Amino acid sequence: MWQVIKSVLAAFFGVQKDSRRRSDFEHGKPIVFIATGVVMALIMVGLVVSVAMMAAG
Amino acid sequence: MRKVLVLAVMVVAIAGLQRNALASDWNMPVGVTEISRSVYSLHMLIFWICVVIGVVVFGAMFYSLFRYRRSKGAKAAHFHEHTTVEVFWTTIPLLILVAMAVPATATLKEMYDTSESDLDVLITGHQWRWQYEYLGEGVSFFSNLSTPSAQIEGEAPKDEHYLLEVDQPLVLPVDRKVRFLTTSADVIHSWWVPAFAVKKDAMPGFINEAWTRIEEPGIYRGQCAELCGRNHGFMPVVVHAMEQDDFDAWLAERKQQAASAANSVDREWKMDELMAQGEKVYSTICAACHQAEGQGLPPTFPALAGNQALMDDLEKHIGVVLNGVSETAMPAFSGTLNPVDIAAVITYERNAWGNETGDVIQPSDIQARLSSE
Ligand code: HEC
Ligand SMILES: [Cu+2]
Repeated sequence: MWQVIKSVLAAFFGVQKDSRRRSDFEHGKPIVFIATGVVMALIMVGLVVSVAMMAAG
Repeated sequence: MRKVLVLAVMVVAIAGLQRNALASDWNMPVGVTEISRSVYSLHMLIFWICVVIGVVVFGAMFYSLFRYRRSKGAKAAHFHEHTTVEVFWTTIPLLILVAMAVPATATLKEMYDTSESDLDVLITGHQWRWQYEYLGEGVSFFSNLSTPSAQIEGEAPKDEHYLLEVDQPLVLPVDRKVRFLTTSADVIHSWWVPAFAVKKDAMPGFINEAWTRIEEPGIYRGQCAELCGRNHGFMPVVVHAMEQDDFDAWLAERKQQAASAANSVDREWKMDELMAQGEKVYSTICAACHQAEGQGLPPTFPALAGNQALMDDLEKHIGVVLNGVSETAMPAFSGTLNPVDIAAVITYERNAWGNETGDVIQPSDIQARLSSE
């Protein structure tokens, strides 16, 4: 699972090691990556909103 | 030797850029409010960040192109990925963006804080003039372009404030927080005064808010900043900022005038008074479409001069001016002109340019008609 999270974070950032990409494609199931991506996108939206709320104070 | 030359050219270029950027003819104005100054410094900060990035990126590119050219025997490297470099060039722009966003957001926050104002002005955009209403003061007026049409037609030399001058400017006190509520009676306009760093869309059915606190008395000019039709370039904004005492005196005088205008609706007007007032109203408002001599621009804008059908039908004439003609460009004037101006302009149209009906329309009749509707 940690591996998946790391890969999703790398995707958010936009840079991924070629070796890790290969192993993701060989081992993981796509649905796991997609679900993790959606959940983490929601978490990021929540983070951005709370930073904005704090700044608007 | 060559390196020195290249360096010298670069220094001269950068110095030239800096001179231009700082000369106010070329750059945005610093303005006369705290907000306008912080907008200006944000602009300059971001501008210089872009310059540095441009010099570094293009410098590295041109240096590499030159230094490692094929005629010198350079061989291209073939590699697929370099995670460290990629992380590096993703992180740096991220940091730069955050560094620019933090001060920009702080300024935006201030711009949006319209609370605790000392004076509220409702600004309504019309095709093609601005209307200013001092809320709670009972003072409201239109601000029309005052540049003579001879200058616009190229028949007279253009003066200094060509197309940036109005008959009645918006008058504001200095050192007070003034809140602007912008809206529109027809299409989207935008009220813009660069010296205050205020530019707010004026939209029909919506009220937008902005504010300013002017620090120096003076005359500030701006324009409608949203393409709004044929005379979009002919509805300038002029603000006259003065000390609080002068402003109070001005406002008192305007209130006095408003009171006496109300009285004048009731009295009996003479033909020549109505003709004089009507000519003024006609040339500022109606001439844009119906043309200076009432000749119109058929088939879109009908002629009023020599329009026999219209001259025979006074009821229709009054009705059209009060209510407009739906589905056409002819606006309803019952809400935007006062009864005196409406009576005057109709009287004028019925007795000018060879129209000789002899009709005198009294403001009190128009008033009666308006209140019965
Ligand atoms: C934005 C352009 C515009 C402006 C400004 C304008 N008009 Fe018109 N006006 C029109 C158009 C277009 C028509 C024709 C409407 C139609 O098709 O029936 C018209 C028609 C009229 C008519 C009826 C003419 C006829 O033969 O039926 C009168 C009277 C008139 N306007 C008076 C005025 C007066 C007075 C003003 C100024 C207070 C004015 N108009 C300003 C566009 C304009
Ligand atoms: Cu406009």
